[in-house]
Amino acid sequence: MTLLSGQRAFILQRVSALLLLAYVAGAALRLALGPPPGFAQWQAWIAHPLGAALLLLLAAALLAHAWVGLRDVVLDYVRPLAVRLAVLALAAAGLLLLGLWTTLIVMSHAL
Amino acid sequence: MRFRIYRYQPDRDARPFMQDYDVRLEPSDRKVLDALERLRAQDDSLAYRRSCREGVCGSDAMNINGRNALACITPLEGLREPVTLAPLPSFPVIRDLVVDMTQFFAHYHQIRPYLINDQPPPERERLQSPEDRDKLNGLYECILCACCSSFCPSQWWNPKEFIGPAGLLQAERFIVDSRDRATAERLAFLDDVYRLYRCRTIMNCTEVCPKGLSPARAIEQIKIQQLRRAS
Repeated sequence: MTLLSGQRAFILQRVSALLLLAYVAGAALRLALGPPPGFAQWQAWIAHPLGAALLLLLAAALLAHAWVGLRDVVLDYVRPLAVRLAVLALAAAGLLLLGLWTTLIVMSHAL
Repeated sequence: MRFRIYRYQPDRDARPFMQDYDVRLEPSDRKVLDALERLRAQDDSLAYRRSCREGVCGSDAMNINGRNALACITPLEGLREPVTLAPLPSFPVIRDLVVDMTQFFAHYHQIRPYLINDQPPPERERLQSPEDRDKLNGLYECILCACCSSFCPSQWWNPKEFIGPAGLLQAERFIVDSRDRATAERLAFLDDVYRLYRCRTIMNCTEVCPKGLSPARAIEQIKIQQLRRAS
């Protein structure tokens, strides 16, 4: 694959969308079957390694999906190269920070 | 019948304007192009392209009541009045309904619209099985009228970089051709953030194609083949 491959982003977007779809379906099923979980239950779920791993996977899929989407918007509407690079860098930094923050929260509960 | 037509002559007009016309149609006038011919008899300063007048040459593509179509095969019957005629959206206007197609054909040439086969040619023609020939159906019929590319928002956003539905449909026509030997290079050339992947499956192309083709489907096929090749 080349540096400006379009396929990589395309696959990332599709795969992350499938993961998010599966999660939303699972969450909807869970809400339909029983009463919504309380805070304690959430904490217990995240404390379990499997729950933590699932949540981190979901966060990664969400951030990757958001990145491809934001990048697409920037490629379409932000034409000047300097502004484009600045906006992309800002978006990347924001998403990475969100990812880091999520990881810290999950890890502090899981460990 | 009432018409409202986009008029612009760069050397005369400061800016484009819409001109209203009332044209007396004869019973034999059935298509938009027939009305345009009558109009030109009234006002010979009106400029538009036309050639075959039967939907084969693709010269008279224009925006008719907000939709790209070929004037020669669009029936007058059922058109809301005043019938608004405008040049193909997003293309530079040369005069009135005549647009500059330079960029469009540059994209077309970019995909190398010819068979590439460096093997020695056989005594007679390069043969193709009926099944392989069938794969070209829905692709070879494109007349390059630009109705699709001019109606594609991705093309409006990235007119220079994105090849556009017409060029990509033509690319697929050579990718699936069993006689072509450059499939890998063609697919690699299109694996690019801009050239192919600016398509957002809006599908205006398939919606307006006057020949009933589906550039959106062709683009999907290119992506599938790239995926197969990568895996």
